[in-house]
Amino acid sequence: MIFREVEDRDLILKAQRGDVDAYNLLVSRWEKRIFNYLLRLVRNREDALDLCQDVLLKVYQNLRKLEDPARFAPWMYRIAHNEAYSMLRRKKPEDDLETTPLDVPSVGGQMLPVETALAVDAALQRLSEEQREAVVLKVYQGFKFEEMSEILGCPMSTVKSRLYTALDLLKDTLAPAAIPRSKS
Amino acid sequence: MNVTPNVLKDYVFGELNAAEMRAVEAAVAADVSLREELVRLQNTQSALFSLPDEEIPRRIAFVSDKVFEPKWWQVWLNSAPRMGFSAAALLAGAIVFHGFAQPKPMAPAAAFDQAQFERRISDEVAKALPVALENVEKRHRMQLAAAIKEADEKYQQLRREDQLAMAASYSLFTEKQAARLVAFAQNASSGVQ
Repeated sequence: MIFREVEDRDLILKAQRGDVDAYNLLVSRWEKRIFNYLLRLVRNREDALDLCQDVLLKVYQNLRKLEDPARFAPWMYRIAHNEAYSMLRRKKPEDDLETTPLDVPSVGGQMLPVETALAVDAALQRLSEEQREAVVLKVYQGFKFEEMSEILGCPMSTVKSRLYTALDLLKDTLAPAAIPRSKS
Repeated sequence: MNVTPNVLKDYVFGELNAAEMRAVEAAVAADVSLREELVRLQNTQSALFSLPDEEIPRRIAFVSDKVFEPKWWQVWLNSAPRMGFSAAALLAGAIVFHGFAQPKPMAPAAAFDQAQFERRISDEVAKALPVALENVEKRHRMQLAAAIKEADEKYQQLRREDQLAMAASYSLFTEKQAARLVAFAQNASSGVQ
């Protein structure tokens, strides 16, 4: 991870000096992560791909404004966050007409990996956009609270609150408490 | 350290330092409810990890496309020092051009000399006239020679035709004369008998 950060830093510095190949390599390292982050926010592959393209283009166009290459990831995810929410706001009226999520099966019993994945997907869908994004940034993207605060543009306490609430909801769905057996 | 459910979540997400982690582990070991809560959180996290990342449908390599590279003039315009330099160079060029390209004042026209003009015309005419006369005479001589030659050829031709006609008439006359003599001789011989 340390080596990767060092290499990313070199690539960013080169890209800031106009080295297109360096930026292309940077894109190849980050595009899948950005795509999956966007996909879990907007829940549509085509939209996520379009957004991913837009985000990486904006990153390229504004890379010279990034003063500290060590902050590249939060800075890029901040751009992705803004782009995703901008699109979600535009599409909001249509989405309100969509059907409500299905009932989520519990993961407590024996389930196949595919079923587990479906259950997790459905459980994530039941969260609010803000809660879901907090989970995605923390669980799937591995950001620290400080970085999440930078990406989401809100205080760390708000970030924690969203994440803790989301995790309690997910826990009740995916790992419900065992029902105590009544003594007969 | 008071280990609350939220502290347990921080523990699961690796947000605690080493000392805090040891404190949580000690508290969990001593408290069944905390242990159950921790197991549920870890199961939730495991379930979340079961959701796989999707492969990106197509690679985004737009940066290598030429269309996204800034044009030379964009690079130039985006450079403030270059803009300053180009402005200074333009100004210097304009000054130099102004110095060289200013139109020169026209010289005043010389006084017109009528006598010299007429003399020059006379000289030119005197020089050209003999040549023109020579050309005309030469052309006339050539035309005359051609006409004589053509008339002579025509005369010769007519003469040859007349000779041929006379020869043919004479030949016809001699043949008819011979025929008459033969007829006369035959009549004479038949009268004697």
